Amino acid sequence: MTRTLATGNNAAAHALAMAGEANRQARGCCAGAYPITPQTEIIEYLSGYPFSKGRVVLVESEHSAMGVCIGAALAGARTFTASSSNGLAYMTENIFAAGFYRLPTVMLAVNRTLGPPWNIWVDQGDSLMMRDAAWLQLYCDSHQDVFDTTLLAFRIAEDPRVMLPVIVAMDGFVTSHNQMVVDFASQDQVDEFLPPCVIPHHLRHDHPSTFGGMTFPNETEHHRYQIQQSMDAAFEVIEEAREEFGNVFGRRPAGALEAFETEDAETIFIACNTMAQTLHNVVTERRAKGEKIGMIRTKLFRPFPRKALIEAIGPAKRIAVLDRNHSPGSGGIFWQEIAATLGQCSDMLLQDYLVGLGGGDVTPSIINEIIDDMNERTTASDPEFRDRPS
Amino acid sequence: MMEITICGRGGQGGVTLAKIIASAYFLKGKYVQAFGVYAAERSGAPLQAFIRVDDTEITNHNQVQNPDHIVVLDRTLITSGLDANMKPGGAIIVNTPADRTDYMEHFPGRDVFTLDATSIAVANGLGTRTVPIVNTTMAGAIARVLGLSLSDILAGLEHLNFAGANKTCARQAYKQVQSHHVAGEVQPPVAEAGPSKVAGLFDEDIGGMPKIKTGSWATERPERRQLTPPCNHVCPAGNDVRGFVEAVGQEDYDKALAILLETSPLPAVCGRVCPAPCMAACNRAEFDTSVNVRELERAAAEYGKRPEAVPSWRDETVAVVGSGPAGLTTAYQLAKLGYPVTMFEAGDELGGILRSGIPAYRLPRDVLDEEIDHVLEYDIKALTGHQLKREDMLQLSQQFQAVFVATGLQNTSDLKLGETDSPAPVQGLHFLERVRSGDIRLDGQRVIVIGGGNTAMDAARSALRIGARSVRVVYRRTRSEMPAIFEEIEQAIEEGVILDELVSPVSLTNSDSGAILTCQGMVLGPPDDSGRPRPIADTSPEALFDLPCDLVILALGQSHDISILPEGAEIREGEALLGLSGAPFFLGGDFATNAGTVSAAIGCGIRAARHIHRTLSGEDLFAPEPAPVADPGYIKFQRFEHIASEPVSTISMTRRQTCFDEVHLGFKAGPEGDRAISEARRCLSCGVCNQCDRCLEYCPEGVLKRDEDGNAYIFDLDYCKGCGVCMTACPRGAIYMTAL
Repeated sequence: MTRTLATGNNAAAHALAMAGEANRQARGCCAGAYPITPQTEIIEYLSGYPFSKGRVVLVESEHSAMGVCIGAALAGARTFTASSSNGLAYMTENIFAAGFYRLPTVMLAVNRTLGPPWNIWVDQGDSLMMRDAAWLQLYCDSHQDVFDTTLLAFRIAEDPRVMLPVIVAMDGFVTSHNQMVVDFASQDQVDEFLPPCVIPHHLRHDHPSTFGGMTFPNETEHHRYQIQQSMDAAFEVIEEAREEFGNVFGRRPAGALEAFETEDAETIFIACNTMAQTLHNVVTERRAKGEKIGMIRTKLFRPFPRKALIEAIGPAKRIAVLDRNHSPGSGGIFWQEIAATLGQCSDMLLQDYLVGLGGGDVTPSIINEIIDDMNERTTASDPEFRDRPS
Repeated sequence: MMEITICGRGGQGGVTLAKIIASAYFLKGKYVQAFGVYAAERSGAPLQAFIRVDDTEITNHNQVQNPDHIVVLDRTLITSGLDANMKPGGAIIVNTPADRTDYMEHFPGRDVFTLDATSIAVANGLGTRTVPIVNTTMAGAIARVLGLSLSDILAGLEHLNFAGANKTCARQAYKQVQSHHVAGEVQPPVAEAGPSKVAGLFDEDIGGMPKIKTGSWATERPERRQLTPPCNHVCPAGNDVRGFVEAVGQEDYDKALAILLETSPLPAVCGRVCPAPCMAACNRAEFDTSVNVRELERAAAEYGKRPEAVPSWRDETVAVVGSGPAGLTTAYQLAKLGYPVTMFEAGDELGGILRSGIPAYRLPRDVLDEEIDHVLEYDIKALTGHQLKREDMLQLSQQFQAVFVATGLQNTSDLKLGETDSPAPVQGLHFLERVRSGDIRLDGQRVIVIGGGNTAMDAARSALRIGARSVRVVYRRTRSEMPAIFEEIEQAIEEGVILDELVSPVSLTNSDSGAILTCQGMVLGPPDDSGRPRPIADTSPEALFDLPCDLVILALGQSHDISILPEGAEIREGEALLGLSGAPFFLGGDFATNAGTVSAAIGCGIRAARHIHRTLSGEDLFAPEPAPVADPGYIKFQRFEHIASEPVSTISMTRRQTCFDEVHLGFKAGPEGDRAISEARRCLSCGVCNQCDRCLEYCPEGVLKRDEDGNAYIFDLDYCKGCGVCMTACPRGAIYMTAL
């Protein structure tokens, strides 16, 4: 283990590079790369990495970057890329292709607000836009979580029970450009943790096959059903991967979610990414003063961990969701998922708070205001914009 | 947990500074955080960076609200309330010159630590004074204030691969940081202002950008300037070369000619015979080929309309002795200033050397006559056939309020080449005079011209035209040392003149088959007083050889005849006036300077006219010190396209060798239109804005616009961030940046 100083981008890029390098005894690795703020450092780091077997292909657009990953994965390589915001939007068509081709690519999504109006700061609307693309999605709350989850993602994606691509998301700038202490790993450890990448359906000259041809409705439905089964299987695969991660690296990254002080909590606050860390600090302070509140940090968004969430909520009947994303005409996207999960509990007070949209700094005082607001509520209202100027 | 806020400007390295400090603490086993506030700024924009240091893992990712310490990388960023939310007891560390303390009033009750980091950084080569990179220097000061050891901060620098000057600066800063305590009470924290109103879809001000006066981000401001174009700088006549060329490019020949006539009365002459030092100095020569200014001047003189002459209105009268280019110019300039002028010429016609020394194939008589006629439209009385003597001069000084003398070079240099019975060589100027009068033919003769100046070339080319079988020019140095105009040498060789370089005549003798010029081969030695290599006789036996000939022409230069000047007069510094009883005498032209070109004589004439005018009226018309010359370093050649110079027509070689028709026909209309206009548009307008709009097009902020007349640009400094793109975009060096 090497303790070092790294930005979130450095941590992600180093993990991607070591994962790619770990496949050198098999069919190597490949990344399609196109830079965009705030992800650019990742592309820069990968482009300079001396891979033993594999290469970074610099392309003219995000759409082609994912195209390179698809082609290389179909040739059996371990593949990865990174993007953000409008770049991710431009990549969209091929993101769906990678998901439905069932290629275990790993993508770092450095969350950034979709424009216009132009904005470079964090908002999860870009990766959440890929909700239905048959990719797993994991949201990281710290630098260490970014490094560990990136390695974990390959193990999950390439597991034959899953065989689907994974998005690992972090906050643009707040995480990507902040330099903090991270425990890195050795290549030996990564080699041990990541077995050679085996893509069972990769193209072979001795066994010609075709992908993505025309199918009839019932065949397509079966294809979707198989993906749903793999998504369902992912929960177990993630837990196994965490277990193995702990065996190799001596620490365990979070899985689907993390609960804190929820057992006897009357009100539970739910958030993800660095916002969850701030929430954690505030809840700790207020707990010390005797408030019966708890919090859940959601990490896994796809597949959505309905079962784990209901268990973590326990008997609490008052839930507040903090969403750093917005689906116009509905509300927060995590709130939608949680509402769908809790749909059968008619006595639940579920309130959505839209906060830190477009990269606003979600300070402890803002979180305290939300907790105060929630404490006074007897009924839920429509999702509430918290930072909006009058 | 310790929290630090760094206030700096984009480009100063504030975020890296946060990382350096964080690294120093990380290496001491601490948990740290270092980050900046990122936006779409460019260099100079105010920005913040933050550092957190703790003994346990840091989970707060917010921007620092209540710092323990504040670091200021640029004193000009300090405003009241900068420390409003700072915790008590911390340090404010400021990069500031030692003699500035005015900002201290904003920090009552605080401990302020100061360091002139900019000077240390710049002295060690880290950035420039306008864009100093002060982060590594400030790291040393911060370390000292926070109680880190020097080795701690050096380790932090090394961790980020800083070495050399960066570590030197940190060391100096560690030693030099000064501590102050500001008197007074710490101001209470200020409540945070709520977010301001944002326009809605149906609000009236929808669509406008936020009114942030980004001019406050600037550390530099663009300024417009006018440099001296190299052509203008070198023009001996002082012509606004760039200005008249621009006017031709604008298809305004009248304006072009008016600009030339400001200085020179002889544009048609100069457009034919000037050696054009402007073309040698032309920055375009660095890029493809010089703009053909000489031919453009000729075109301007040919197509432009001359302005009306003004009558004299002053009482003081001036005498001008000599009607060569210097005399004509002085008379013209003084007449324009309102003086009645009387001009004295020894010969039968006006023009001096222009008429007697320049053959018609270079300067046709009708062109010269017409140009002189224009000068005489002013109140200038021209008296020809007046060979003035010393006593006449004294009389002039009684009759006129000023006398200008420019009688040229009347004494020719001789060379003794043999016994008294040898065939006599003829003087070049005398030969040219005879050619002009048409009473000489050289059919079938072998001619040798001795010399390397314009007279030698003119004599050689004239000799060919009047039937010489062969013409050789012998010169004791090489072609590159010849004083003749480059083009004239070129054209002489084209026409068949043989040039014998490194040859010096020894003797001229008679033989059965005609005359024999015995010559000595020469080699070049070390430079002489004139700076040219000294010719030395070649001692080898074969270096002495004979050239048969029928006529030898001497063109060895001329000198002035000062015997006409009043007794006691001597020439000092060329054109200096002489203090005498009676009217002052002013000297000019070749008579005073021996500069040898028409343009130099014109320049001399202008200066003499200004001298005389200042003496008579007290008004000083001398130009102020010119702006710096726009040398090639100012020109962004990559912003221009290569364009070939327009061709100039000449008459056929047969006619060149047999008659005195003008060789050059000037720019003629080509298939694409007027070639002179195309040629003029090749001008780069070095150092002078010609409203090309590059700055306006390239300004990323849109803060540049044309003024109401459309002639100049206005910078909206409220929104100019001082990025310098306009300066970089300006192809001709007419914009520069000044530090604020």
